[in-house]
Amino acid sequence: MSVERKAPPWLPLLAGLALVAFLGLLLGPERALHLARGVARAPHAQDLLPAAGWSMLRMTASYVASLLFAWLAGYTAATRPRAARLILPLLDVGQSVPVLGFFPAAIYLFVTLLGGGRLSLEMAAIFLIFTSQVWNLAFAVYEGISTIPAETRAAVDSLGVRGVLRMRALLLPACIPPLVYNSILSWANGWYFLIACEIIVTGKAQYDLPGLGSMLSRSLARGDLALATGALVTLVALVVAIELVVWRPVRAWSQRYRYDTQVAEEDAEEPGFRPLALGIPALLRPLRALAHSLWERLPIPALNRAGARVTALLLSAWRWARWPLGLAAVAAVVFGFAGIVHAIRPPWPPEAARLPLALLLSFLRIAAAYVLAMLWIIPVALWASDHPRQVRGLTLIAQIGASVPATAFFPVLVALLVNRFGGMEIISIALAMTGMQWYLLFNLLGGVSRVPSDLRESMRSLGLSRAQVHRQLVLPACMPSLVTGSVVAWGGTWNALILSEYVVYRGQTYEVLGLGQMLNRATFQTGSRSLLFLSVALLVATVVTVNRLVWDPLYRAVSARYRLET
Amino acid sequence: MLVLRRVTLSYFDRAHPTPVLEDVSLEIPDHQFVCIVGPSGSGKSTLLRIMMGLTAPTTGGVLYQGRPLTDVNLHAAMVFQSFTLLPWLTVQANVEIGLKAREVPEEESRRRGTYYLGKVGLDGYGEAYPTELSGGMKQRAALARALAVEPDLLFMDEPFAGLDALTSANLREEVLTLWSDHALPVNTVVMVTHIIEEAVLMADRVLVLSSRPGRIVSDLEIALPRPRSKRDEGFDALVDSIFEKIV
Repeated sequence: MSVERKAPPWLPLLAGLALVAFLGLLLGPERALHLARGVARAPHAQDLLPAAGWSMLRMTASYVASLLFAWLAGYTAATRPRAARLILPLLDVGQSVPVLGFFPAAIYLFVTLLGGGRLSLEMAAIFLIFTSQVWNLAFAVYEGISTIPAETRAAVDSLGVRGVLRMRALLLPACIPPLVYNSILSWANGWYFLIACEIIVTGKAQYDLPGLGSMLSRSLARGDLALATGALVTLVALVVAIELVVWRPVRAWSQRYRYDTQVAEEDAEEPGFRPLALGIPALLRPLRALAHSLWERLPIPALNRAGARVTALLLSAWRWARWPLGLAAVAAVVFGFAGIVHAIRPPWPPEAARLPLALLLSFLRIAAAYVLAMLWIIPVALWASDHPRQVRGLTLIAQIGASVPATAFFPVLVALLVNRFGGMEIISIALAMTGMQWYLLFNLLGGVSRVPSDLRESMRSLGLSRAQVHRQLVLPACMPSLVTGSVVAWGGTWNALILSEYVVYRGQTYEVLGLGQMLNRATFQTGSRSLLFLSVALLVATVVTVNRLVWDPLYRAVSARYRLET
Repeated sequence: MLVLRRVTLSYFDRAHPTPVLEDVSLEIPDHQFVCIVGPSGSGKSTLLRIMMGLTAPTTGGVLYQGRPLTDVNLHAAMVFQSFTLLPWLTVQANVEIGLKAREVPEEESRRRGTYYLGKVGLDGYGEAYPTELSGGMKQRAALARALAVEPDLLFMDEPFAGLDALTSANLREEVLTLWSDHALPVNTVVMVTHIIEEAVLMADRVLVLSSRPGRIVSDLEIALPRPRSKRDEGFDALVDSIFEKIV
């Protein structure tokens, strides 16, 4: 829920169009995807470590790419107000678009560009993870730089500090706290999408992405429960270990880079994990010392001169190339637009007529999952409000639950539920619920723990019963947190549709009518590009519209009315 | 010698100019302690930033030693109200950062950092982090940081406003002592304050700015002998006369 920014209202629309247009431009004739055929051999236990390695590699590659991109975008936006007017709304759209919906399109694109080999799948997966990680990191850089107190900035400037030294002493450190906080979120997000990508690919392709997600779904599909458990345990262990060994210490360290004046609002959720923060482990210490000594020895004057030269060069190149580049961009948009029009122009495949119904059904499924999740989460949160000591433990559970990618449990749920209890419809709702419940619980617990205890006591002393206190105080006070959690949960679940409505299990396809199913069918079965684009466009339009028309106003209204003054 | 020639400054909000400073001309000779007073919003701090070269005037110009100022003046240093130490650097590293920017060799930089920390009474605090210091000590460290670049001009923007009464009185004394210390390179001090007593206590010369847009409405010599005290004869009369010019 970022601050309101002034931007031309047509910009997000244009950006969305341009993105879809770019995809449209590069696509060849309509066809169903046939990925290169390797022989997929049965997974073995000794593949577990390599699989974990591949998954980590994919994560790291896209995280590093995200960091670089985030720095460039955030730094440019924070230092050039005119560029910010363009960049910030673009980031906003990127953040609210359900990226997983683009996965089929991304596979389509990379397969078309690079042929159907493993490389194209890897690129598609990394691209997808990148798009799930990058936006909030870019906002973090922007926020870090633009919240440096004006006097501090002036003080550093007045000392004649500039160039690389200024970057090192002022700008980079200021970005560290928001960047670390958001990296943790991005990293969790990345796992979610990584596993999702690996699972989706295993469903159809002969040649998969080796990794924990593909291993999990493949071994389950073969009925190898032991191996599936192994994969799941490895995954959870890996996620939790990275959380404990990397992120917790890094986060504690990042607090050094906070200005006194900044309010540590993120810290409110901190309880519980502190004893587990191990300090920077001995293993990492030599690395840190090395980095530190390199950092100290940067040849600053030389770097400054080189930097100035490169900047001058780039600026003159930009001045020279501004008009041609602008023209090229306009041309690309026009061509892309023509490409889309061409791609989605009638005659539409007969299935297109079912799109509105598909959208409605997907929406209803998410709503059902949301209501079901609320049914257990609200009582738990209210119970926690009466037992403040239990809040820490519950928060810890919610934290771990949220950091373990829910997508990893999808194959497990499918294996458990398939052909039982009403079949795919139930599975689909259950999958959606697994994805959203932790965010809701986590946020609601945060809200509960922020209700001041003297306020609660004053209510009790007025003779209100426990239920009345819940209704009059706790629930209203939790409203802002509830809405925040709901936005994240719904956003995540729109993403999960693509996994939850179309499942391949033991060579058989289980599906329910919905937007996610349409996307999958268009990619892997009918090969209808127009259907693929129509579905993606519909999904994006729905999510952006719901965000703008429902969640944003609701959040504003709720936080105006229910915020507790502290 | 610092010369301002017909300096004006306006902020542009949607191409609609809001004048902040209007037609400010003045000369500050070497070895002078100048205080700028005025109501809030009179552009005192902005004027100081223009003198420092942090902000460029909309029209008019600043001359330092006869040459026009186009960038931050590296022969000057500035102390701010909010201390502005970088929380992730030790006190020593904070003090040395201006020297790093001037590419002073490491040995020399270390030596100077320690020397000036000693000058402001912070011996032995070099390895502490700013968060471990009290407000008064933070401002001393910021003062050491400014002195360490051995500036000819020292600018101070309400340097005592964030401190309690006792601490600010002490620090005020020390700034005066440091200024009169001929071992230190600082020649000229320009200080912004909203406390008239402080100006009369410290300055050779007081400039009074009008409220927005800021203009110099009065330029007074303070000829009271040093060291001064609030009980000096004529002190109250001076304060009152300046007060009347402001309101």
